Amino acid sequence: MSDLTRRGFVKSSAGVAGAAASMTALGTLVTEQAEAKEGAHGSHPVVAYVGDPRNGEISVMSGNREVRVRDRKLAARIARAAR
Amino acid sequence: MSSHREAPAISKDPVADNTDTYAFVSPDDPGSVTIISNYLPLEAPFGGPNFFEFGDDVRYDINIDQTGDGTPDITYEFQFTTEVRNPNTFLYNTGPIDSIDSPNWNRRQFYSVTRVTKGSRVVLAADLPCPPCNIGPASTPKYDGLAAQAIHRIAGGHVVFAGQRLEGFYVDLGAIFDLGDLRPFQNLHIGMMAAAAGVNATNDFSVHCIALRVPKQELTRDGSVPRNPMDRSSVIGVWATASRQRALIRETNGLVQLAGDWVQISRLGNPLFNEVIVPMGEKDLWNSITPAGDREFLKYVQHPELASLLPVLYPGVFPKLAGITAARADLVAILLTGLPAGVVPGFQNYTGPKYADELRLNLAIPPTTSNPSPLGLIGGDAAGFPNGRRVFDDIVTVELRAIAGATYPLVDKGYKPDGAASLITDGLGRNSTRYLSQFPYLGTPQGGYQTAPLSTV
Repeated sequence: MSDLTRRGFVKSSAGVAGAAASMTALGTLVTEQAEAKEGAHGSHPVVAYVGDPRNGEISVMSGNREVRVRDRKLAARIARAAR
Repeated sequence: MSSHREAPAISKDPVADNTDTYAFVSPDDPGSVTIISNYLPLEAPFGGPNFFEFGDDVRYDINIDQTGDGTPDITYEFQFTTEVRNPNTFLYNTGPIDSIDSPNWNRRQFYSVTRVTKGSRVVLAADLPCPPCNIGPASTPKYDGLAAQAIHRIAGGHVVFAGQRLEGFYVDLGAIFDLGDLRPFQNLHIGMMAAAAGVNATNDFSVHCIALRVPKQELTRDGSVPRNPMDRSSVIGVWATASRQRALIRETNGLVQLAGDWVQISRLGNPLFNEVIVPMGEKDLWNSITPAGDREFLKYVQHPELASLLPVLYPGVFPKLAGITAARADLVAILLTGLPAGVVPGFQNYTGPKYADELRLNLAIPPTTSNPSPLGLIGGDAAGFPNGRRVFDDIVTVELRAIAGATYPLVDKGYKPDGAASLITDGLGRNSTRYLSQFPYLGTPQGGYQTAPLSTV
Protein backbone atom coordinates (compact mmCIF):
# COMPACT_ATOMS: atom_id res chain seq x y z
CA MET A 1 0.00 0.00 0.00
CA SER A 2 1.41 3.41 -0.88
CA ASP A 3 1.93 6.04 1.78
CA LEU A 4 -0.64 8.17 0.03
CA THR A 5 -3.23 5.42 0.22
CA ARG A 6 -2.35 4.61 3.80
CA ARG A 7 -2.67 8.21 4.80
CA GLY A 8 -5.97 8.41 3.00
CA PHE A 9 -7.60 5.81 5.17
CA VAL A 10 -9.43 7.06 8.19
CA LYS A 11 -11.54 5.07 10.54
CA SER A 12 -14.00 7.57 11.80
CA SER A 13 -14.21 8.25 15.49
CA ALA A 14 -17.25 10.01 16.85
CA GLY A 15 -15.41 13.29 16.52
CA VAL A 16 -14.48 12.67 12.91
CA ALA A 17 -18.02 11.57 12.15
CA GLY A 18 -19.26 14.80 13.63
CA ALA A 19 -16.86 16.81 11.53
CA ALA A 20 -17.93 14.93 8.42
CA ALA A 21 -21.57 15.57 9.17
CA SER A 22 -20.86 19.28 9.23
CA MET A 23 -19.78 19.11 5.60
CA THR A 24 -23.02 19.92 3.87
CA ALA A 25 -22.82 17.70 0.79
CA LEU A 26 -21.61 14.55 2.42
CA GLY A 27 -23.43 15.10 5.67
CA THR A 28 -26.78 15.57 4.00
CA LEU A 29 -26.31 12.63 1.70
CA VAL A 30 -25.28 10.20 4.39
CA THR A 31 -27.81 11.39 6.89
CA GLU A 32 -30.76 11.34 4.50
CA GLN A 33 -29.92 7.95 3.06
CA ALA A 34 -29.21 6.46 6.43
CA GLU A 35 -32.42 7.76 7.90
CA ALA A 36 -34.49 6.73 4.93
CA LYS A 37 -33.19 3.21 4.48
CA GLU A 38 -31.15 2.15 7.49
CA GLY A 39 -32.48 4.04 10.42
CA ALA A 40 -31.48 1.26 12.77
CA HIS A 41 -27.83 1.77 11.81
CA GLY A 42 -27.62 5.05 13.62
CA SER A 43 -25.66 3.44 16.43
CA HIS A 44 -23.06 1.82 14.18
CA PRO A 45 -19.61 3.35 13.81
CA VAL A 46 -19.05 5.20 10.55
CA VAL A 47 -15.96 4.39 8.47
CA ALA A 48 -14.77 6.69 5.71
CA TYR A 49 -12.36 5.21 3.17
CA VAL A 50 -10.46 7.40 0.77
CA GLY A 51 -8.79 5.06 -1.69
CA ASP A 52 -7.14 7.82 -3.67
CA PRO A 53 -7.42 11.40 -2.40
CA ARG A 54 -6.66 12.72 -5.88
CA ASN A 55 -9.96 11.57 -7.37
CA GLY A 56 -12.00 12.63 -4.36
CA GLU A 57 -14.03 9.43 -4.06
CA ILE A 58 -14.97 8.54 -0.51
CA SER A 59 -16.60 5.29 0.57
CA VAL A 60 -18.65 5.83 3.69
CA MET A 61 -19.59 2.63 5.50
CA SER A 62 -21.82 1.94 8.46
CA GLY A 63 -23.30 -1.39 9.43
CA ASN A 64 -23.78 -3.33 6.19
CA ARG A 65 -24.25 -0.21 4.04
CA GLU A 66 -21.75 1.58 1.87
CA VAL A 67 -22.27 4.91 0.14
CA ARG A 68 -19.83 6.38 -2.37
CA VAL A 69 -19.57 10.13 -2.72
CA ARG A 70 -17.16 12.33 -4.67
CA ASP A 71 -15.88 15.37 -2.82
CA ARG A 72 -12.31 16.42 -3.61
CA LYS A 73 -12.11 18.97 -0.83
CA LEU A 74 -13.35 16.60 1.84
CA ALA A 75 -11.11 13.80 0.57
CA ALA A 76 -8.11 16.11 0.71
CA ARG A 77 -9.09 17.26 4.18
CA ILE A 78 -9.38 13.70 5.46
CA ALA A 79 -6.05 12.81 3.88
CA ARG A 80 -4.42 15.77 5.60
CA ALA A 81 -5.92 14.75 8.94
CA ALA A 82 -4.36 11.29 8.60
CA ARG A 83 -0.83 12.65 8.17
CA MET B 1 -4.19 -26.88 24.48
CA SER B 2 -1.58 -24.61 25.93
CA SER B 3 -3.12 -21.73 24.06
CA HIS B 4 -3.96 -23.20 20.68
CA ARG B 5 -7.39 -22.08 19.48
CA GLU B 6 -8.09 -21.09 23.08
CA ALA B 7 -10.46 -18.18 22.47
CA PRO B 8 -13.38 -17.76 20.06
CA ALA B 9 -11.97 -14.89 17.99
CA ILE B 10 -8.36 -16.01 17.68
CA SER B 11 -9.41 -19.57 16.84
CA LYS B 12 -10.53 -18.13 13.50
CA ASP B 13 -7.19 -16.39 12.90
CA PRO B 14 -4.50 -19.07 13.23
CA VAL B 15 -1.70 -16.98 11.69
CA ALA B 16 -1.91 -14.69 14.72
CA ASP B 17 -2.77 -17.37 17.27
CA ASN B 18 -0.02 -17.56 19.89
CA THR B 19 0.18 -21.24 20.86
CA ASP B 20 3.05 -21.44 23.35
CA THR B 21 5.59 -19.16 24.96
CA TYR B 22 8.80 -20.42 26.54
CA ALA B 23 11.54 -18.60 28.47
CA PHE B 24 14.55 -20.32 30.02
CA VAL B 25 18.24 -19.86 30.69
CA SER B 26 19.91 -21.43 27.67
CA PRO B 27 21.32 -24.79 28.81
CA ASP B 28 24.15 -24.62 26.27
CA ASP B 29 24.84 -20.91 26.81
CA PRO B 30 23.95 -20.06 30.43
CA GLY B 31 24.89 -16.41 29.99
CA SER B 32 21.82 -15.99 27.83
CA VAL B 33 18.08 -16.48 27.89
CA THR B 34 16.13 -18.16 25.11
CA ILE B 35 12.59 -16.99 24.50
CA ILE B 36 10.36 -18.88 22.09
CA SER B 37 6.97 -17.77 20.88
CA ASN B 38 4.96 -20.14 18.68
CA TYR B 39 2.04 -19.43 16.37
CA LEU B 40 -0.16 -21.32 13.90
CA PRO B 41 -1.62 -24.27 15.81
CA LEU B 42 -1.85 -27.80 14.43
CA GLU B 43 -0.05 -27.38 11.12
CA ALA B 44 -0.59 -30.58 9.14
CA PRO B 45 2.78 -31.37 7.52
CA PHE B 46 1.19 -31.99 4.12
CA GLY B 47 -0.75 -28.70 4.12
CA GLY B 48 0.14 -27.44 0.63
CA PRO B 49 0.25 -26.07 -1.93
CA ASN B 50 0.16 -22.90 0.13
CA PHE B 51 2.28 -24.15 3.01
CA PHE B 52 2.16 -22.41 6.35
CA GLU B 53 3.90 -19.09 6.91
CA PHE B 54 3.84 -16.07 9.19
CA GLY B 55 1.44 -13.24 8.42
CA ASP B 56 2.91 -10.24 6.62
CA ASP B 57 0.00 -8.33 8.14
CA VAL B 58 0.68 -9.43 11.72
CA ARG B 59 3.16 -7.93 14.17
CA TYR B 60 4.61 -10.53 16.51
CA ASP B 61 5.99 -9.26 19.81
CA ILE B 62 8.00 -10.73 22.67
CA ASN B 63 7.58 -8.59 25.78
CA ILE B 64 9.80 -8.25 28.84
CA ASP B 65 8.68 -6.79 32.16
CA GLN B 66 11.68 -5.75 34.25
CA THR B 67 9.83 -3.87 36.96
CA GLY B 68 6.82 -6.02 37.86
CA ASP B 69 4.19 -3.54 36.74
CA GLY B 70 2.68 -5.77 34.06
CA THR B 71 3.72 -3.54 31.17
CA PRO B 72 6.57 -4.13 28.74
CA ASP B 73 9.92 -2.46 29.41
CA ILE B 74 11.42 -4.15 26.35
CA THR B 75 9.59 -5.41 23.29
CA TYR B 76 11.16 -7.37 20.45
CA GLU B 77 9.05 -6.85 17.35
CA PHE B 78 9.08 -9.27 14.43
CA GLN B 79 7.57 -8.32 11.07
CA PHE B 80 7.50 -10.47 7.96
CA THR B 81 7.53 -9.91 4.22
CA THR B 82 6.75 -12.57 1.63
CA GLU B 83 8.45 -12.61 -1.75
CA VAL B 84 7.01 -14.56 -4.69
CA ARG B 85 9.56 -15.24 -7.39
CA ASN B 86 7.17 -16.47 -10.05
CA PRO B 87 3.47 -15.62 -9.72
CA ASN B 88 2.69 -17.64 -12.84
CA THR B 89 2.98 -21.05 -11.18
CA PHE B 90 0.87 -22.61 -8.46
CA LEU B 91 3.92 -24.34 -7.02
CA TYR B 92 5.59 -23.55 -3.70
CA ASN B 93 8.79 -24.91 -5.20
CA THR B 94 9.71 -25.82 -8.76
CA GLY B 95 12.50 -28.22 -7.81
CA PRO B 96 14.50 -29.31 -4.78
CA ILE B 97 15.18 -26.60 -2.21
CA ASP B 98 18.75 -27.30 -1.22
CA SER B 99 19.50 -23.91 0.32
CA ILE B 100 17.37 -21.12 1.74
CA ASP B 101 18.21 -18.94 -1.27
CA SER B 102 17.46 -21.70 -3.76
CA PRO B 103 15.97 -20.39 -7.03
CA ASN B 104 13.63 -23.38 -6.91
CA TRP B 105 11.87 -21.96 -3.86
CA ASN B 106 9.09 -19.78 -5.16
CA ARG B 107 7.60 -18.32 -2.02
CA ARG B 108 10.16 -17.08 0.49
CA GLN B 109 9.65 -15.13 3.65
CA PHE B 110 11.91 -12.56 5.33
CA TYR B 111 11.67 -10.67 8.60
CA SER B 112 13.00 -7.83 10.66
CA VAL B 113 13.74 -7.72 14.39
CA THR B 114 13.30 -4.43 16.23
CA ARG B 115 14.08 -3.81 19.89
CA VAL B 116 11.74 -1.27 21.46
CA THR B 117 12.32 0.30 24.85
CA LYS B 118 10.74 3.38 26.32
CA GLY B 119 11.66 6.12 23.89
CA SER B 120 13.87 3.99 21.65
CA ARG B 121 13.47 1.78 18.59
CA VAL B 122 16.50 -0.08 17.28
CA VAL B 123 16.32 -2.34 14.24
CA LEU B 124 18.56 -5.24 15.19
CA ALA B 125 18.31 -6.93 11.80
CA ALA B 126 16.30 -6.85 8.60
CA ASP B 127 15.73 -9.11 5.59
CA LEU B 128 16.51 -12.27 7.54
CA PRO B 129 15.37 -15.35 5.60
CA CYS B 130 13.06 -17.99 7.08
CA PRO B 131 13.45 -21.65 6.13
CA PRO B 132 10.83 -23.37 4.00
CA CYS B 133 8.32 -25.77 5.46
CA ASN B 134 9.36 -29.42 5.48
CA ILE B 135 7.59 -30.77 2.41
CA GLY B 136 9.27 -34.07 1.70
CA PRO B 137 12.49 -35.67 0.48
CA ALA B 138 12.06 -34.54 -3.12
CA SER B 139 11.42 -30.88 -2.24
CA THR B 140 13.29 -30.29 1.00
CA PRO B 141 16.08 -32.85 1.20
CA LYS B 142 18.47 -32.45 4.13
CA TYR B 143 15.93 -30.34 5.98
CA ASP B 144 18.06 -29.96 9.10
CA GLY B 145 20.68 -28.20 7.03
CA LEU B 146 18.09 -25.85 5.58
CA ALA B 147 16.84 -24.96 9.03
CA ALA B 148 20.37 -24.40 10.28
CA GLN B 149 20.91 -21.82 7.54
CA ALA B 150 18.01 -19.87 9.04
CA ILE B 151 19.66 -19.47 12.46
CA HIS B 152 21.01 -15.94 12.42
CA ARG B 153 23.52 -14.27 14.70
CA ILE B 154 22.60 -10.60 14.69
CA ALA B 155 23.54 -7.35 16.39
CA GLY B 156 24.02 -7.22 20.14
CA GLY B 157 24.87 -10.88 20.63
CA HIS B 158 21.38 -12.06 19.73
CA VAL B 159 20.60 -15.29 17.93
CA VAL B 160 17.30 -15.60 16.13
CA PHE B 161 15.28 -18.12 14.16
CA ALA B 162 11.81 -17.83 12.65
CA GLY B 163 10.15 -20.68 10.83
CA GLN B 164 8.45 -24.05 11.06
CA ARG B 165 9.33 -26.41 13.92
CA LEU B 166 7.84 -29.56 15.33
CA GLU B 167 5.22 -28.95 18.01
CA GLY B 168 6.86 -29.27 21.42
CA PHE B 169 3.73 -29.17 23.53
CA TYR B 170 2.34 -32.63 24.19
CA VAL B 171 -1.20 -33.17 25.39
CA ASP B 172 -4.00 -35.71 25.10
CA LEU B 173 -6.53 -33.31 23.63
CA GLY B 174 -9.01 -35.96 22.60
CA ALA B 175 -9.29 -37.18 26.16
CA ILE B 176 -9.21 -33.83 27.93
CA PHE B 177 -11.91 -32.30 25.79
CA ASP B 178 -14.04 -35.41 26.16
CA LEU B 179 -15.22 -34.29 29.61
CA GLY B 180 -11.77 -34.44 31.16
CA ASP B 181 -11.52 -38.18 30.60
CA LEU B 182 -7.81 -38.66 31.36
CA ARG B 183 -7.06 -42.08 29.91
CA PRO B 184 -4.76 -43.36 32.70
CA PHE B 185 -7.53 -42.61 35.22
CA GLN B 186 -10.65 -43.14 33.17
CA ASN B 187 -11.57 -46.17 35.28
CA LEU B 188 -12.26 -43.58 37.97
CA HIS B 189 -14.02 -41.16 35.62
CA ILE B 190 -17.80 -40.96 35.39
CA GLY B 191 -17.42 -42.69 31.99
CA MET B 192 -15.99 -45.80 33.74
CA MET B 193 -13.80 -47.15 30.93
CA ALA B 194 -10.69 -49.21 31.46
CA ALA B 195 -7.52 -47.22 32.09
CA ALA B 196 -5.36 -46.69 29.00
CA ALA B 197 -2.20 -44.97 27.88
CA GLY B 198 -2.31 -41.30 26.90
CA VAL B 199 -2.36 -40.26 23.24
CA ASN B 200 -0.38 -37.23 22.11
CA ALA B 201 -2.85 -35.30 19.97
CA THR B 202 -0.18 -32.90 18.68
CA ASN B 203 2.02 -35.73 17.42
CA ASP B 204 3.70 -34.79 14.11
CA PHE B 205 1.92 -31.44 13.88
CA SER B 206 4.06 -28.34 13.53
CA VAL B 207 3.94 -24.70 14.53
CA HIS B 208 5.65 -21.55 13.35
CA CYS B 209 8.29 -20.59 15.86
CA ILE B 210 10.06 -17.35 16.69
CA ALA B 211 13.10 -18.11 18.83
CA LEU B 212 15.32 -15.39 20.24
CA ARG B 213 18.44 -15.76 22.36
CA VAL B 214 19.34 -12.65 24.35
CA PRO B 215 22.29 -11.94 26.67
CA LYS B 216 21.06 -11.88 30.28
CA GLN B 217 22.36 -8.40 30.94
CA GLU B 218 20.10 -6.99 28.23
CA LEU B 219 17.05 -8.21 30.12
CA THR B 220 17.78 -7.00 33.66
CA ARG B 221 16.73 -3.58 34.85
CA ASP B 222 20.27 -2.59 35.90
CA GLY B 223 22.14 -4.28 33.05
CA SER B 224 23.77 -6.80 35.37
CA VAL B 225 24.10 -10.57 35.16
CA PRO B 226 22.12 -11.80 38.19
CA ARG B 227 23.98 -14.03 40.64
CA ASN B 228 21.67 -14.11 43.67
CA PRO B 229 18.46 -16.10 43.18
CA MET B 230 16.87 -14.43 46.20
CA ASP B 231 17.32 -10.94 44.79
CA ARG B 232 14.05 -9.73 43.29
CA SER B 233 15.91 -7.96 40.51
CA SER B 234 16.97 -11.39 39.26
CA VAL B 235 13.42 -12.02 38.03
CA ILE B 236 11.90 -10.90 34.74
CA GLY B 237 8.41 -11.34 33.35
CA VAL B 238 7.89 -12.60 29.78
CA TRP B 239 4.89 -12.86 27.50
CA ALA B 240 4.24 -12.79 23.79
CA THR B 241 1.54 -11.15 21.69
CA ALA B 242 0.30 -10.75 18.15
CA SER B 243 -1.33 -7.64 16.74
CA ARG B 244 -3.12 -6.61 13.58
CA GLN B 245 -3.83 -3.15 12.23
CA ARG B 246 -7.19 -1.76 13.21
CA ALA B 247 -8.66 -1.46 9.72
CA LEU B 248 -8.82 -3.76 6.71
CA ILE B 249 -10.62 -2.77 3.52
CA ARG B 250 -11.36 -5.40 0.88
CA GLU B 251 -10.96 -4.05 -2.63
CA THR B 252 -12.96 -5.58 -5.45
CA ASN B 253 -9.82 -6.84 -7.21
CA GLY B 254 -8.91 -9.33 -4.48
CA LEU B 255 -6.49 -7.01 -2.76
CA VAL B 256 -6.84 -5.61 0.73
CA GLN B 257 -5.79 -2.29 2.22
CA LEU B 258 -4.59 -2.10 5.82
CA ALA B 259 -4.37 0.95 8.01
CA GLY B 260 -4.42 2.17 11.54
CA ASP B 261 -2.81 1.43 14.86
CA TRP B 262 -1.66 -2.04 15.81
CA VAL B 263 -4.31 -3.72 17.94
CA GLN B 264 -3.40 -6.71 20.12
CA ILE B 265 -5.45 -9.83 19.37
CA SER B 266 -3.45 -12.66 20.95
CA ARG B 267 -1.45 -12.99 24.17
CA LEU B 268 0.33 -15.75 26.03
CA GLY B 269 2.29 -15.81 29.26
CA ASN B 270 1.58 -18.84 31.43
CA PRO B 271 0.41 -21.85 29.45
CA LEU B 272 -3.27 -22.73 29.76
CA PHE B 273 -4.16 -19.44 31.50
CA ASN B 274 -6.60 -18.17 28.91
CA GLU B 275 -7.55 -21.68 27.88
CA VAL B 276 -8.48 -23.15 31.25
CA ILE B 277 -8.78 -20.28 33.73
CA VAL B 278 -10.59 -17.55 31.79
CA PRO B 279 -14.26 -18.23 30.93
CA MET B 280 -15.38 -18.21 27.31
CA GLY B 281 -17.17 -14.88 27.51
CA GLU B 282 -13.96 -13.06 28.48
CA LYS B 283 -11.28 -14.87 26.50
CA ASP B 284 -11.27 -12.41 23.60
CA LEU B 285 -11.02 -9.52 26.04
CA TRP B 286 -8.10 -11.20 27.80
CA ASN B 287 -6.27 -11.56 24.51
CA SER B 288 -6.59 -7.82 23.89
CA ILE B 289 -5.07 -6.39 27.06
CA THR B 290 -1.67 -6.27 28.76
CA PRO B 291 -0.89 -8.25 31.91
CA ALA B 292 -1.28 -5.03 33.89
CA GLY B 293 -5.04 -5.48 33.55
CA ASP B 294 -5.16 -9.02 34.88
CA ARG B 295 -6.64 -8.13 38.25
CA GLU B 296 -9.93 -8.44 36.41
CA PHE B 297 -9.26 -12.17 36.08
CA LEU B 298 -8.02 -12.74 39.65
CA LYS B 299 -11.29 -14.31 40.75
CA TYR B 300 -10.96 -17.04 38.14
CA VAL B 301 -7.52 -17.97 39.45
CA GLN B 302 -8.70 -17.89 43.04
CA HIS B 303 -11.64 -20.18 42.26
CA PRO B 304 -10.79 -22.08 39.07
CA GLU B 305 -13.67 -23.84 37.37
CA LEU B 306 -11.60 -26.98 36.79
CA ALA B 307 -11.02 -27.41 40.53
CA SER B 308 -14.74 -27.70 41.03
CA LEU B 309 -15.16 -30.04 38.05
CA LEU B 310 -12.56 -32.63 39.06
CA PRO B 311 -14.51 -33.93 42.09
CA VAL B 312 -17.59 -34.24 39.89
CA LEU B 313 -15.86 -35.98 36.99
CA TYR B 314 -13.97 -38.33 39.31
CA PRO B 315 -16.48 -39.19 42.07
CA GLY B 316 -14.87 -39.89 45.42
CA VAL B 317 -11.33 -39.22 44.17
CA PHE B 318 -10.92 -35.58 45.20
CA PRO B 319 -12.84 -35.11 48.49
CA LYS B 320 -10.21 -32.80 49.99
CA LEU B 321 -10.09 -30.65 46.87
CA ALA B 322 -13.86 -30.41 47.04
CA GLY B 323 -13.50 -29.10 50.58
CA ILE B 324 -11.36 -26.11 49.64
CA THR B 325 -13.52 -23.00 49.77
CA ALA B 326 -10.83 -20.37 50.30
CA ALA B 327 -9.23 -18.45 47.46
CA ARG B 328 -6.41 -20.42 45.86
CA ALA B 329 -3.50 -18.27 46.95
CA ASP B 330 -1.12 -20.95 45.67
CA LEU B 331 -2.37 -20.56 42.11
CA VAL B 332 -2.38 -16.78 42.41
CA ALA B 333 1.28 -16.88 43.38
CA ILE B 334 2.24 -19.33 40.64
CA LEU B 335 0.38 -17.54 37.86
CA LEU B 336 -0.06 -13.90 38.80
CA THR B 337 2.69 -12.67 41.15
CA GLY B 338 5.40 -15.30 41.27
CA LEU B 339 6.36 -17.25 44.37
CA PRO B 340 7.78 -15.00 47.08
CA ALA B 341 10.84 -15.96 49.13
CA GLY B 342 10.13 -18.33 51.97
CA VAL B 343 7.62 -20.55 50.18
CA VAL B 344 10.07 -22.90 48.47
CA PRO B 345 13.51 -23.01 50.14
CA GLY B 346 16.16 -21.27 48.05
CA PHE B 347 13.73 -20.16 45.38
CA GLN B 348 11.63 -17.16 44.47
CA ASN B 349 10.33 -15.63 41.29
CA TYR B 350 8.27 -12.86 42.82
CA THR B 351 7.80 -9.70 40.81
CA GLY B 352 5.70 -7.78 43.33
CA PRO B 353 2.06 -7.48 44.26
CA LYS B 354 0.80 -6.54 40.79
CA TYR B 355 -1.40 -9.32 39.41
CA ALA B 356 -0.09 -10.07 35.94
CA ASP B 357 -0.04 -13.26 33.91
CA GLU B 358 3.60 -13.57 32.88
CA LEU B 359 6.17 -16.30 32.71
CA ARG B 360 8.49 -15.34 35.56
CA LEU B 361 12.08 -16.35 35.09
CA ASN B 362 14.73 -16.10 37.78
CA LEU B 363 17.88 -15.49 35.76
CA ALA B 364 20.21 -16.38 38.64
CA ILE B 365 19.10 -19.99 38.72
CA PRO B 366 21.37 -22.01 36.43
CA PRO B 367 19.94 -24.44 33.90
CA THR B 368 19.65 -28.07 34.92
CA THR B 369 21.77 -29.90 32.37
CA SER B 370 21.68 -33.38 33.86
CA ASN B 371 18.34 -35.18 34.07
CA PRO B 372 16.10 -32.13 34.30
CA SER B 373 12.63 -32.91 35.62
CA PRO B 374 9.79 -32.11 33.18
CA LEU B 375 7.72 -31.45 36.30
CA GLY B 376 9.88 -28.42 37.03
CA LEU B 377 9.62 -26.96 40.49
CA ILE B 378 7.13 -29.55 41.78
CA GLY B 379 9.57 -32.18 40.53
CA GLY B 380 12.41 -30.59 42.51
CA ASP B 381 13.94 -28.85 39.48
CA ALA B 382 13.95 -25.09 40.05
CA ALA B 383 15.13 -24.42 36.48
CA GLY B 384 11.75 -25.43 35.10
CA PHE B 385 8.15 -24.24 35.15
CA PRO B 386 6.90 -22.11 36.83
CA ASN B 387 10.40 -20.64 36.83
CA GLY B 388 9.99 -19.65 33.21
CA ARG B 389 9.17 -22.60 30.99
CA ARG B 390 11.35 -25.04 29.05
CA VAL B 391 10.25 -26.67 25.82
CA PHE B 392 9.93 -30.13 27.39
CA ASP B 393 8.23 -29.15 30.64
CA ASP B 394 5.14 -31.27 31.27
CA ILE B 395 2.78 -28.37 31.60
CA VAL B 396 -0.43 -30.39 31.51
CA THR B 397 0.61 -32.60 34.40
CA VAL B 398 2.02 -29.74 36.46
CA GLU B 399 -1.06 -27.58 36.09
CA LEU B 400 -3.49 -30.48 36.58
CA ARG B 401 -1.74 -31.36 39.82
CA ALA B 402 -1.59 -27.76 40.97
CA ILE B 403 -5.29 -27.22 40.32
CA ALA B 404 -6.04 -30.59 41.97
CA GLY B 405 -4.53 -29.22 45.16
CA ALA B 406 -0.96 -30.52 45.12
CA THR B 407 0.42 -26.99 45.58
CA TYR B 408 -2.15 -25.82 48.12
CA PRO B 409 0.10 -26.82 51.09
CA LEU B 410 2.43 -24.01 49.97
CA VAL B 411 -0.07 -21.59 51.48
CA ASP B 412 -1.88 -23.88 53.97
CA LYS B 413 0.56 -26.13 55.79
CA GLY B 414 -2.27 -28.07 57.39
CA TYR B 415 -3.83 -29.14 54.09
CA LYS B 416 -3.19 -32.72 53.03
CA PRO B 417 -3.87 -33.13 49.31
CA ASP B 418 -5.87 -36.00 47.90
CA GLY B 419 -3.65 -38.90 46.92
CA ALA B 420 -4.66 -38.44 43.29
CA ALA B 421 -3.41 -34.84 43.28
CA SER B 422 0.20 -36.00 43.04
CA LEU B 423 -0.63 -38.70 40.47
CA ILE B 424 -3.02 -37.11 38.03
CA THR B 425 -1.68 -36.81 34.49
CA ASP B 426 -2.79 -37.19 30.90
CA GLY B 427 -0.24 -39.97 30.61
CA LEU B 428 2.30 -38.23 28.39
CA GLY B 429 5.86 -37.07 28.91
CA ARG B 430 8.81 -35.42 27.20
CA ASN B 431 9.37 -38.53 25.07
CA SER B 432 5.99 -37.90 23.45
CA THR B 433 7.70 -35.61 20.93
CA ARG B 434 11.22 -34.70 19.82
CA TYR B 435 13.52 -31.84 20.76
CA LEU B 436 16.95 -30.51 19.91
CA SER B 437 19.63 -30.05 22.55
CA GLN B 438 20.60 -26.71 21.04
CA PHE B 439 18.93 -23.58 19.67
CA PRO B 440 16.11 -23.39 18.64
CA TYR B 441 15.44 -26.49 20.81
CA LEU B 442 12.16 -27.49 19.15
CA GLY B 443 12.50 -30.53 16.94
CA THR B 444 12.71 -30.91 13.18
CA PRO B 445 9.23 -30.55 11.68
CA GLN B 446 7.74 -33.68 10.23
CA GLY B 447 7.83 -33.77 6.43
CA GLY B 448 4.56 -33.84 4.54
CA TYR B 449 5.53 -36.79 2.36
CA GLN B 450 6.57 -38.78 5.42
CA THR B 451 3.29 -38.26 7.29
CA ALA B 452 0.32 -40.63 7.41
CA PRO B 453 -3.15 -39.26 8.10
CA LEU B 454 -4.63 -39.43 11.55
CA SER B 455 -5.79 -42.85 12.76
CA THR B 456 -8.25 -44.25 15.26
CA VAL B 457 -7.20 -45.02 18.82
